Amino acid sequence: MKTIICRHCDMVSHVPNMPSGYVAKCIRCESVIYKNSWCSPSGMLALCLAALIIIVPAFYFPLISIHLLGITEGTNLLQGALMMIDNAPVVAFVVLFCAVIAPTLLISSIALSSACLTFNYHPAYLPKILKITYILKHWSMLEVYMVSLMVAIFKLMNYADLYFGVGFYFFIALLLLNLTIISNYSNHSYWERYINE
Amino acid sequence: MNRIAIAGKTGIKQGLQLCKICGNYSLQVEHPTECPICLNEISQRKKNSLQKTWAFLITSIIFIFPANLYPITYLLKNNTLYPDTIFSGILSLVDSDMPGIALIVFVASIVVPFLKIIALAVIAFSVQNHWNLNPKKQLWAFYLIDWIGKWSILDLFVISIMVAVFDKGHLLSVYPGIAATSFTVVVLTTLFAANNFDTRLIWDAQTDE
Repeated sequence: MKTIICRHCDMVSHVPNMPSGYVAKCIRCESVIYKNSWCSPSGMLALCLAALIIIVPAFYFPLISIHLLGITEGTNLLQGALMMIDNAPVVAFVVLFCAVIAPTLLISSIALSSACLTFNYHPAYLPKILKITYILKHWSMLEVYMVSLMVAIFKLMNYADLYFGVGFYFFIALLLLNLTIISNYSNHSYWERYINE
Repeated sequence: MNRIAIAGKTGIKQGLQLCKICGNYSLQVEHPTECPICLNEISQRKKNSLQKTWAFLITSIIFIFPANLYPITYLLKNNTLYPDTIFSGILSLVDSDMPGIALIVFVASIVVPFLKIIALAVIAFSVQNHWNLNPKKQLWAFYLIDWIGKWSILDLFVISIMVAVFDKGHLLSVYPGIAATSFTVVVLTTLFAANNFDTRLIWDAQTDE
């Protein structure tokens, strides 16, 4: 029977045969050690492509429009980070990285590795892509941005009239797709497929 | 090529080491530094895990002071500059009858960074000094701080939105202050500290009875 070592406590466990959608937990620390995702690489590829299409309007179109000093102006996700570059470059970079660069790269790299596994194509860079995916997983913070946006909206309601922009709806769609992708993606099973084929 | 590991015993006792990147294990004697499957660097425990965790923690403790004492944003309104620290920002939210939002910001930008530093320090101390605290509880505490850690970025995102919305020059503008950069350093260093901590050390430190 196949065994697996828990990455959180080093205990060795058997991997049982599980129906899809189930997870296996470590016998000692009860962390999830193995996921049997219901989503195949081809399904994952479809989800990622949908997310990559939506990512463009979600970042480009205004999230909120505000009526201030007689002018109504829209604000999109990129503007805020780019406007801070002169005053606080570190802050601007972190905001840009966690809200834009990391999610885009993460979805692209999952899309690429899913495409490779779906079409049975094994380029030399595939291990690198899987490694990048593993690192980027920590840095994609779209859900934090969503809550920040709500906090900002409540703060701004004191000053002026607010309207939701087109980008806001795209952003919600992106957020839902992103959550589905991240919760179903299993780095380990991608490595397994890569090695076995 | 691999010996099958026996379930119910730790990897280190069987001379096996796990590759954190591809999730496969191999014999430590045969492949001491490189995972035979994905060819990435491999070691039985994260190298210098505790030293790195402490280094990042101490950095974050130093920067948490300017982050809370200096103004995090400046509001420029009709040519007058109004500075706002993290705490005064929360107080003004309470004043304008938004206790819920004030609570979210308070938790994300004050409670989370402090809690994270204290909890990580306690776990690191207990590993070093073999305090024999319940390992499972320590791990769940670690999971909690690992998960809530990224929520302290919230304040930075809010600032970025405010800066983008208020850009009417001398009439009405918002600028990030020194504390914004310090706060970013605090968030990053606590994230790195948690990333560098090897949770397997919690179990290694338990003395067998």
